[in-house]
Amino acid sequence: MNALPKTVPNGLQRRSFLYRQLQQAGAEFAEVNGGAVAIRYGNNEAVELDRAKAMGIADLSVLPRTGFKGTGTVEWLQTQGLTIGQESNVAYRQSGGEWAARLAPTEIFLVDSLAGSGQLIDRLNQSWAWGSEKPRKAIGYPTPRQDSHAWFMVTGQHAPDMFAKICGIDFRLHKFAVGQIAQTSIAKMSGIIIRTDLGTTPAYHLLADIASADYLWPAVQDAMKEFNGGPVGLNALRRLEG
Amino acid sequence: MTASNQMGGINRLPAPRGLLIDRSKQITFTFEGHSFTGYAGDTVASALAANDAWMISRSFKYHRPRGVLTMIGQDANTLVQIGDEPNCLADKRAIEPDMAIEGQNYIGTLEADRGRMVELVKKFLPVGFYYKTFHEKRDSWRFWEPIVRAMAGLGKIDLKADFHHSYYDKKYLFADVAVIGGGPAGLAAALQAAETGAEVILVEESPQLGGSLNYARFDETGDGGSRTSGELASRVRLQPNITVMTNAICSGWFADNWLPVIQGNRFHKLRVKAVVLATGSIEQPAVFRNNDLPGIMMGSAAQRLIHLYGVRPGKRAVILTANRDGYGQALDLLEAGIEVAAVIDLRPTPPQDTMTKAVQRAGIEIRTGHAIAEAMHIGQKKHVSGVSVAPIIGEGELGKAVAEYACDTVLMSVGYSPAGQLLHHAGTKFGYDTRSHMFKPEAVPAHVFAAGSVNNTFDLSAVLADGRYAGWAAAKDAGFERGSELAPPVERGAEEQTHPWPIFPHAKGMEFVDFDEDLKIEDLINGIHDGYDSVELLKRYSTVGMGPSQGKHSAVAAVRIVSRETGMDLRNMSVTTQRPPYTPEKFGHLAGRIFDPERRTAMHHRHLELGAQMMPAGLWWRPGYYGAKADRDQIIRDEVNNVRNNVGLIDVSTLGGLDVRGPDAAEFLNRMYTFTYTKLQVGRSRYLLMTDQTGVITDDGVACRFHDEHFYVTATTSGVDGVYRQMLQWNAQWRLDVDVANVTAAYAGVNIAGPKSREVLARVCHDIDLSPEGFPYLGVRMGTVAGIPARLMRVGFVGELGYEIHVPASYGEALWDALMAAGGLNGIRPFGVEAQRVLRLEKGHIIVSQDTDGLTNAYEADMPWAVAKSKPFHVGGRSAEIQLKNGLTRKLVGFTLKNADDPCPEECHLVLKGSAIVGRVTSAVHSPSLKKVVGLAYVHPDDAQPGSTFDIKVHGGRIIQGTVVPIPFFDPENKRQEM
Repeated sequence: MNALPKTVPNGLQRRSFLYRQLQQAGAEFAEVNGGAVAIRYGNNEAVELDRAKAMGIADLSVLPRTGFKGTGTVEWLQTQGLTIGQESNVAYRQSGGEWAARLAPTEIFLVDSLAGSGQLIDRLNQSWAWGSEKPRKAIGYPTPRQDSHAWFMVTGQHAPDMFAKICGIDFRLHKFAVGQIAQTSIAKMSGIIIRTDLGTTPAYHLLADIASADYLWPAVQDAMKEFNGGPVGLNALRRLEG
Repeated sequence: MTASNQMGGINRLPAPRGLLIDRSKQITFTFEGHSFTGYAGDTVASALAANDAWMISRSFKYHRPRGVLTMIGQDANTLVQIGDEPNCLADKRAIEPDMAIEGQNYIGTLEADRGRMVELVKKFLPVGFYYKTFHEKRDSWRFWEPIVRAMAGLGKIDLKADFHHSYYDKKYLFADVAVIGGGPAGLAAALQAAETGAEVILVEESPQLGGSLNYARFDETGDGGSRTSGELASRVRLQPNITVMTNAICSGWFADNWLPVIQGNRFHKLRVKAVVLATGSIEQPAVFRNNDLPGIMMGSAAQRLIHLYGVRPGKRAVILTANRDGYGQALDLLEAGIEVAAVIDLRPTPPQDTMTKAVQRAGIEIRTGHAIAEAMHIGQKKHVSGVSVAPIIGEGELGKAVAEYACDTVLMSVGYSPAGQLLHHAGTKFGYDTRSHMFKPEAVPAHVFAAGSVNNTFDLSAVLADGRYAGWAAAKDAGFERGSELAPPVERGAEEQTHPWPIFPHAKGMEFVDFDEDLKIEDLINGIHDGYDSVELLKRYSTVGMGPSQGKHSAVAAVRIVSRETGMDLRNMSVTTQRPPYTPEKFGHLAGRIFDPERRTAMHHRHLELGAQMMPAGLWWRPGYYGAKADRDQIIRDEVNNVRNNVGLIDVSTLGGLDVRGPDAAEFLNRMYTFTYTKLQVGRSRYLLMTDQTGVITDDGVACRFHDEHFYVTATTSGVDGVYRQMLQWNAQWRLDVDVANVTAAYAGVNIAGPKSREVLARVCHDIDLSPEGFPYLGVRMGTVAGIPARLMRVGFVGELGYEIHVPASYGEALWDALMAAGGLNGIRPFGVEAQRVLRLEKGHIIVSQDTDGLTNAYEADMPWAVAKSKPFHVGGRSAEIQLKNGLTRKLVGFTLKNADDPCPEECHLVLKGSAIVGRVTSAVHSPSLKKVVGLAYVHPDDAQPGSTFDIKVHGGRIIQGTVVPIPFFDPENKRQEM
């Protein structure tokens, strides 16, 4: 039986800004959403899983995400079947495992589940249209969140302690609930942190300027060093999620 | 100096003494080149003391030998050099294997310091030396400068060394209540605050909780302190609401309870709702002749040596005291096998308590109403050898000496002063308490609480009660109210702790008030008599309290001396203002781990692979040119020529991008920019020029209309964030139905430019009609390039047929790869920012902030064509009109040189009219395309007509002539970019 060809990041058109750093760290890739995502580092999955439980970081930048903002955004998304509550700075879990992060009363940042199928996100992106009615109904506007922000996931019990080294928000588990959002400064740059635990493991989405991904990735890992943290692949996250 | 290799040192006491040391781990280090062995947990000073090495350093001014004084890092006596790090506190810094330690401030060796001769000429170095010497005799600086510079500073820094950056970082801490100080009051406060429901952080500077409980003697048996410490500490550790930080020091108090906490190489940032300051008190020295000799130390320092480090402070001691603690120290010494020659009590009739009686029972001589008149020494002041004792006959007055005691140790236990630095930082008012003879906090600010001896409370049970009350009050202040209300203690036991006047002048002087600065009683008196008769003035004049220990041991004595000399009432006086930091901080702590974000485009690594020399543009990195630095000029010319004659590719991802959408989008742009956009057709673009309210140009770009309600607006790399802010700010007022999104990072962009760009693009773009008619100049389209969704714009910044292609950032590298591959047959090559600058200048296009400045309006920039007259308003329009009516003072023109052999001017070379400066060159280059110098410059309006000449002052003051010419310099009919 022939082995499946290895996925090479620059063999695909959608590329994480970090793919060279991931390669250097020993990542093995799989194709998701037209890009290469690091699925594992090395062959010892148990070690990687333990790392994810203690202190890990994954690059999910090629996975699907989108956004909508402006008057009518939330109402339109609700008509599209999304569950979005009244409170801002809260992320609402969707039936397919996606998270709709309400950054403001009229702004949603939607990240896909770890499956990365992009079904809901593709459907929304395709459904949005200018419309021809006069006056046009206010349904907000799409925002290019797939490419404006790099997408990391920070996992493990030491995550709050690690964040305290790069961010002034209290991310401890009893202070920062699942679904809570912080729009804040991280390692001196703007970013969004959303807590969405994976099973019993604390997990935080970290979304920040895509152009600074090459800077932020090692900066976070530097903060993780004292906890023996390091990169983990998507497979480990999926296993944590159960 | 004798090095000892005896196990742990010849002065080491047997266990259980030595709470902080681990006798199973020996550590060898060197001091002044001699090898010593101590135990893990030893400080440098305790390990040296264990080995009978008492002289640690030399004093700053007179180079007098100095040794252990406090054993808690509150003094400058123990500043040592450890490797390349100067000014380390020997009584705080733990020993490490192979540590190389040296004393400081000597010439020659620590033992035989030639600098000690300074003391012989002390008459020529009076207090206020600088004031007196340089006030009128300014020329004397030439004589004194090399001497002063040689004497200045402590420790050594090798400026030629290969400096390395140690790793320091910062971390936030989170809690409801912070308790600073882990002594009895702090422990009680932390427990009470936690039991009341608050989340507590307890900060203790020592390695172990307990504070004075771990070394001081609270009762005759001597075990009450350690028992209480153990009980409290274990309760604290069991309390889940308390986070304990040991070896951590809070170095300041800042507004709204912001507390810096330093622990090792980490700087913690802690903000709490309420803070309890249980920082204790600082034992004060007695002032008598030669009170600075090694072997003379605070009583608490001796107890720390004995109990914390298991080190005998000497063999035969005299204790000078004015309180109960001195008697406890006598018992401690006896139990440690140290002979106590005498207890000298300043009080005429000390109260008889169990501790006093125990000393009497031990047969120790007690002299009441006496003081030490002078300390004697051996070997050039290297150690105390005895004391003479005299009766006190008045405040600070001694009779004739009546006895001498041989001893190698003198303990001073004459009183305390609150360690109130943090309270001072918080704005606490202190007042002098005539009953306890100490300053005490009288008005503590909101959300700040004091407890323990810093709060004038000394009796242990009162200290614990005070701590509990402060902890409860702080928790309540932070919003927690579990349990019943507590009250502060009524009796605090502060009397009979501190003597009102432990200062005894001697006919021969050398009674040190300030050990850091070698200031004696007479220095302060002379300073006062010189006219500096307030504490604050005297501090600046004499430098009292300005040394490394910041007056911890000198401030109170200085206040007392000023009070006596001026007749001021102590109750109306205070110590000088105390400011952060409480203890020395390193620059490394303040800097922390350097976070220096930068932005890279999707093609960044491709540029590096192609040999680009990268240059910063704000936070971004952009390729300047591709190739070796040595070939820079030729490379730039080649890149320019390739664009003019063939096809080039430049990364323009850093340009700002804003999606402006909504029914009022066109009206919004009309107001924000100088041009008009209402009638701009979908599929077309138009230049944008932004001005501020004063009419000054702030940015430019292009508006691309992709839909009636959608403009994709570009902005300059460094200007886009400001443009975005301006748009949000203005629309908050206008309330137009428009949404603005900054999508700069979301799009990668390239400009493929040159006569063959269409041919190259056609190979990878199949869903857009690229013909001149189908996609004309200034047209914009959406389609795909190499299968990637793209926004395409026909723009002409470099003056050639060209297409800006913007794609989602994740596709940027793939787009670059596809275009480079598609252009391979045509010899496509990348070009950088430097070539683009040349190309645009050949076309006469301005760069905002290079060819404009903070005063330039559209008319000065000769851009009236970019200002629409048909609309009622745009930001800055009215201001620019007024300036135009008032008359321009300068105008931007294109120029070339009158004499082709003259050198190319540089940016900011001055434009002159006669002798007056009327403008400057903003851009100039030797054009590869035109084979001559072309540039832009501000000239006098009278000289702005084509054909006029003007003077340019270039390097060396040479004047050359520029000739005004019309722009564009290259392809004036714009046929190339519109083909």
